[in-house]
Amino acid sequence: MKKIPIVIGLFATITTAAIISSCATTSDMASLKSGAQLWGENCLRCHNAPSPETFSDTEWDVAIMHMRVRANLTEDEAVKIAEFLKTAN
Amino acid sequence: MQNLYRQILLLVLIGFSIHLNAQKDSASQVLSTLDIQTAQLPKATTNDWKPGKSRFLLRGYAHSGLELTDEEFTFVGGSFNPLLIFRQSDRLLFEGELELELEGNELHLGLEYANMSYLLTKSLTFRAGKILIPFGTFIPNLHPAWINKFPTRPLGAGHDGILPGADIGLELRGAAYLGPVKTNYSLYAINGPQLNDGSLEAEEGGLLHYDIVPDNNKNKAVGGRIGFFPMSNSALEIGLSALYGKVGDKDSRYEDVAALLYAVDLSYVRNLPGISSVLDIKAQYSVTDVEEAEFPEPDELGEFHTFDNKSTTWFAQLSLRPAFVENKFIQNLEIAGRYSSLRTPEGAPWEVDQKQWEVGLNYWLDWRTLFKFSYRTISGEAGGHGGGAEEGGDAFFIHWAIGF
Repeated sequence: MKKIPIVIGLFATITTAAIISSCATTSDMASLKSGAQLWGENCLRCHNAPSPETFSDTEWDVAIMHMRVRANLTEDEAVKIAEFLKTAN
Repeated sequence: MQNLYRQILLLVLIGFSIHLNAQKDSASQVLSTLDIQTAQLPKATTNDWKPGKSRFLLRGYAHSGLELTDEEFTFVGGSFNPLLIFRQSDRLLFEGELELELEGNELHLGLEYANMSYLLTKSLTFRAGKILIPFGTFIPNLHPAWINKFPTRPLGAGHDGILPGADIGLELRGAAYLGPVKTNYSLYAINGPQLNDGSLEAEEGGLLHYDIVPDNNKNKAVGGRIGFFPMSNSALEIGLSALYGKVGDKDSRYEDVAALLYAVDLSYVRNLPGISSVLDIKAQYSVTDVEEAEFPEPDELGEFHTFDNKSTTWFAQLSLRPAFVENKFIQNLEIAGRYSSLRTPEGAPWEVDQKQWEVGLNYWLDWRTLFKFSYRTISGEAGGHGGGAEEGGDAFFIHWAIGF
């Protein structure tokens, strides 16, 4: 089937990206940005940036973990955004 | 003899009394030990009540509204979608979203998704259960009512559309920086779409249905999405998605029929200091390509027909919000426009060739609550048998949505 090479190519790309990512540092660009900057850049992609006072520190831990999975955040990005929200609330 | 009995009775009483006292002393000792231990504990204050690692959070969204068409002027019930999130530990998360809405006079209760996520590494997460399929951008990211800029969806992205929504399976997903470029990725295996063979309703022969349990064959559909952020401020995201699998029923004439779905999506969000506004552009182009097969002819019993079973749909939307102007009222306004198109196979009983325009004005009460005022116009032909076609013509909507 003609489409199989397309699919194989896509999966090879994704698999390569996943393997590289698991080896590479994830903090290159994230380390240069503040939590506030990452909060603005990542949240605004889909919805308004949430007000820090929306949740308590305890609740932010859960909300950020949820968004780390949902929005594909790296661990460094999630930690910085959480720290910013907890400091600002 | 009587004295002897009295002496024995006296001895028994004395012995019983000694036993009771011993028990009492033992109990007193335990109590006093507990008192000492309690006194040695640090005195608790409010700040000492640290939360455990396992925590629960209720989120979700709700919406309702008013719709005005040529034929009716009616309030619509909208829906209530609670999202239950349970963080079991630093690495394990459970989440499930329900959908409660009125259909006619009856309550429709649906499970949008329910899964567990385990954070494997800093950049890789394993997910299992019913997941929102990461195909394109609208359904996985933009469909919640408080995020969607309009009360309606783009053509093809509705519950009975040609785009996949949710399914049961396994997924690896994550994000990482490859040099200066951020990427996100997802690779998954799911039960997959199912081909309608037209045996029950010939008018729907050739359509794909999603999110059906149980699976109709032993084949699993596999898919993935990879997104690139070529700009250092992550303003631009370009995503490529694909999903492939056999879709026919096991042991049927359609057993080897396969489908390939692919999509390109784009997101561009940036501040425009010159006009003190936030610009948000979203777009997605999707193709559903099912291998050719013969399906029952709707009007001629025993006859079969075939067609090139390829459908395309795309949308582009733009919104502008003057969020940085000084006037409080104006900074909460947002204007939005969206165009979408749907083309399903020519010659199919469910053939659709529609275009939809939507324009809207939104007012944000806070970051997650808004009123939407929008006008929609649809042109083109709808087959009337699924395929994601929109019923009704021009319509005006006033909707309210809240995320919580």
